[in-house]
Amino acid sequence: MIILPFPCVSNAAVRRALRKELLSALRGSGSPVIVDLSGCPPLNHEDIELLLECMAQVAGRDTQVLFVAGSRVNRVLLEVTRIPSLVPVFNSVQEALAYPKATVETDAKDQSASQAQRLWSA
Amino acid sequence: MELGAFVVVPGGKDFTTIHEVQPHITAGFENPRQLVCSRMPIVGNDVLQSWMDRIRKLGVQSLWLTSGRGDGTVTRSELAGFARQGIERLLVIKLNSYAEMDLADLVRFHCESRNPVTEAHDAQGQMGISLLDHLALRASEEKNHLSAATPDSGQIPYQFSGYAKRILAARERQELVGDALTGACAMRPFGKQMGEQVWIGEGVKLDSSVRILGPTYIGARSRIRAGATLGPFASVERDCVVDCGTTVERSTVLPRTYLAPGLLIRDAVVDGGYLEHLVWGTVADLHPAGLGSRIPRRNSRRQSSCEVPTEGFPPADSVPAWGFASSSGASQPWLQVQL
Repeated sequence: MIILPFPCVSNAAVRRALRKELLSALRGSGSPVIVDLSGCPPLNHEDIELLLECMAQVAGRDTQVLFVAGSRVNRVLLEVTRIPSLVPVFNSVQEALAYPKATVETDAKDQSASQAQRLWSA
Repeated sequence: MELGAFVVVPGGKDFTTIHEVQPHITAGFENPRQLVCSRMPIVGNDVLQSWMDRIRKLGVQSLWLTSGRGDGTVTRSELAGFARQGIERLLVIKLNSYAEMDLADLVRFHCESRNPVTEAHDAQGQMGISLLDHLALRASEEKNHLSAATPDSGQIPYQFSGYAKRILAARERQELVGDALTGACAMRPFGKQMGEQVWIGEGVKLDSSVRILGPTYIGARSRIRAGATLGPFASVERDCVVDCGTTVERSTVLPRTYLAPGLLIRDAVVDGGYLEHLVWGTVADLHPAGLGSRIPRRNSRRQSSCEVPTEGFPPADSVPAWGFASSSGASQPWLQVQL
């Protein structure tokens, strides 16, 4: 299980770099990926585009992606865009980790998860 | 005994001009203040107009409108000024509910019970409807705010058991929409019935691929684009655009709202760029995400979902036909409306 924080920064250059890293991590992952929007302000159109890109990255592959809305406002915005009909959306990382398909592989992927967490918290 | 009628429209501000609704939000938050206001149409109807019709039936020729103070309250001392002008009994209605009330019965009850003040109550408590005698006003000048006050001790409230809904709470408002669409109350959608529990206003443009599931209402001049689905229990008020593939279900879309393509609006009230989720109570700003927005006016005539109504449940965008006169000397603006 990999947990990737969503790059919700306003600085365009930093955001571009984080976006590149996020998409690259999604491409390279063979295990379920949680994209965590906790702490993000309400989503704007760029954020929604990036979430759609995340979905496109894993489309047709075995990699499962899950989104953590992190706030009710973002949960509402995700519902409005119908994203939850394509990707499971949770309120918290704990809920996402408890998701049946995700937990199966959690133990085996602990190492890569901690690696990714280090990467994104840096 | 001369009866004066007073309607307090919270947030109404200035009744000679028409105001844009400005929700008190900047982006989105978990515990929002109310998104809806009492002047927003409900399946094309204006609740103020429904109260005016009831007041007219009492034989009252005119009424006074005010927005009250910031919280929509009016002090008894302000009302006492009208009592000095010769009005001996005052009917005060705070526009926070729609109620199918026989006001003549309220007046009868007031007279028979010999209360100086009679408050109307329903199962949920105070309805914001009061009758006051001028003597009571003079005695209690500078006392509590009228709408914030509890009934004076020892006074018997008027118990109303008919149909009533608070319209400032989004969820109850949506219940009223549902009741109007299904005939559970006397309010009827303002439009032509086109099928089983489906009403459509004038000048609506519907793509042939649009799916409508009753009960549903579409207000005048709204445009519903290809592949959209409306209903059940959807109300799209006037001058809206619902773009391709968007679904509106158990929700209200308030006037002059644009909804982007492919959305799912479920259990919500949308006003311009803001959406209030009826289950979670969350208000989200759709605009930064490009999901919704306010449609600008097409001409100079100012109108909005909080505009002044016209006669007998007309289309909500008609030109106001009232005669106005400002009050003098009051701390809050009062405007007289000829009925």
